Amino acid sequence: MKAIWKREMQGYFCTATGYVFLGVFLTVSSVLFYLEILSQRSGDLPAFIGEMSYLWMLLSPVATMRLLAEEKQKKTDQLLLTSPVSLTRIVAGKYLAAVTLLGTAAALTLLYAGVVAMYGQIYPAELAVNYLGFLLQGCAFAAIDLYCSGLAGTPVTAAVLAFGANFLLWILDLAETAVQAEWIAGILRFCSLYRRNEAFLMGQLSFAGVLFDLSVIVLFLALTVYHMDRKRIGR
Amino acid sequence: MIRLEGVTKKYGSVTALREVSFQIEQGETVGLLGRNGAGKTTLMNLMTGYFPPTEGRVVIGGKDMLGDSAACKRMIGYLPERPPLYDEMTTEEYLRFVCELREVQKGAIAGHVKEIMALCGLTEMRRRLLGHLSKGYRQRAGIAQALCGSPEILIFDEPTVGLDPKQTVEIRELIRKLRGDHTVVFSSHILSEVQQACSRVIILDEGRMVKDYRGEEPESETIRVRLTIGGRAESLIPRLKRLEFISGAEILPEAGEGETEARILMPRGGNRGEALDRAFRGLAEAGIPVRMMKEEKETLEEVFLKSTSDI
Repeated sequence: MKAIWKREMQGYFCTATGYVFLGVFLTVSSVLFYLEILSQRSGDLPAFIGEMSYLWMLLSPVATMRLLAEEKQKKTDQLLLTSPVSLTRIVAGKYLAAVTLLGTAAALTLLYAGVVAMYGQIYPAELAVNYLGFLLQGCAFAAIDLYCSGLAGTPVTAAVLAFGANFLLWILDLAETAVQAEWIAGILRFCSLYRRNEAFLMGQLSFAGVLFDLSVIVLFLALTVYHMDRKRIGR
Repeated sequence: MIRLEGVTKKYGSVTALREVSFQIEQGETVGLLGRNGAGKTTLMNLMTGYFPPTEGRVVIGGKDMLGDSAACKRMIGYLPERPPLYDEMTTEEYLRFVCELREVQKGAIAGHVKEIMALCGLTEMRRRLLGHLSKGYRQRAGIAQALCGSPEILIFDEPTVGLDPKQTVEIRELIRKLRGDHTVVFSSHILSEVQQACSRVIILDEGRMVKDYRGEEPESETIRVRLTIGGRAESLIPRLKRLEFISGAEILPEAGEGETEARILMPRGGNRGEALDRAFRGLAEAGIPVRMMKEEKETLEEVFLKSTSDI
């Protein structure tokens, strides 16, 4: 698993992918930081972190699109699948690489908290909970998008599928207020990655929120392994 | 070392392999021959555990591939038709990665990679990106990754396809070096390559194993004899066919001046030597001036064409 993680990290940073991801993430987040914090002379970091979470929707597909789809496209999956490494460890290694990239991006945004701390007050415990929710949400998106990469035959298709899935999740979140039937609205609320993050943004360490995000991660990683195994059997 | 028991592989309604069974012993070098679409690559993918069979079993070193795939895969080094290379890695980095995948001990990786690179002629290319290597070197890198972890079995799918003649010779030489210490299975379209390198050839056609050829055919009922005969061809065939001990005769195109090349078929009828003596005497008594007489064994090409045309 560690060998696969290392190889994927090399794949990110020996090609443009990792740099483009971090560059775009930091550029957009810095614009958001200016608009939300600096121009308003506000110290409301949770609101800013809440806005930043939409970057996962846009950029997580970039981090995950190559991971499985490119292996299939370039036939390097033959190397992995004929080596004595289980499918679970292959998927886990690739997922951890994606999470490392997302985590690196999140860690770099702590600079903004540093800027706010220089001119105002921040509450470390609250900030820690805000970032925990932010990271867990990113990890959940990464798991969903890794599954999309497993479904696709090329990285471009994987990216489109993942964008579509992320966008759909956002639309469903918005649809919750428009839906008439309370039970449907309840289901949408229950499944919403954005709603689950609200408690973290309010500084509340929500066990239900952590469990939900972890469940999404485990579910989609399991689905990825299952799908790859079924595909292999059906080849 | 490798045993296939009734292996069948279906892709939906298409049957790529049908009840293939054979056994390969340790140290053998076996060639897989077949037309395009015969099932060679599918067979190799099954042997290496890339995907499982629809029916049947693959047993490697006494272990079932489905039951203990990790142990089986540790024994196999596989070079697919397209080497599985990561273009953004250097040769050395890539081989280190493969060694880690194959669970080579951390402390031993550097030395092992150095040995493999020396064996495959990649030492000078160790810092070059795989994406920048020529086709010949990419193929060498593909063979090198198959050697990582010192597997007992090497399976190569068309190792010389697309290479120029010099590169082909180099790769063939490399495979020859590997033969002694490993069980080698490789597929090729080039009959001469297989004939030179292999002690045994398995021929596939339309998903079935049609021939397991070990060079020396068991005693067949017919002997083929090539003759160089003094004289013109036109009169020879009727005279040859009149001879009782000849069951078939044909004139061959290659002939010297004033000579005719012919091939005759004779029933073995017991002892091969006696049959040949009988033929020589019979031809002499018939007044046919034989200048050269030689028994012909079936070539691999003939075996292949006969095996794949009978279906």
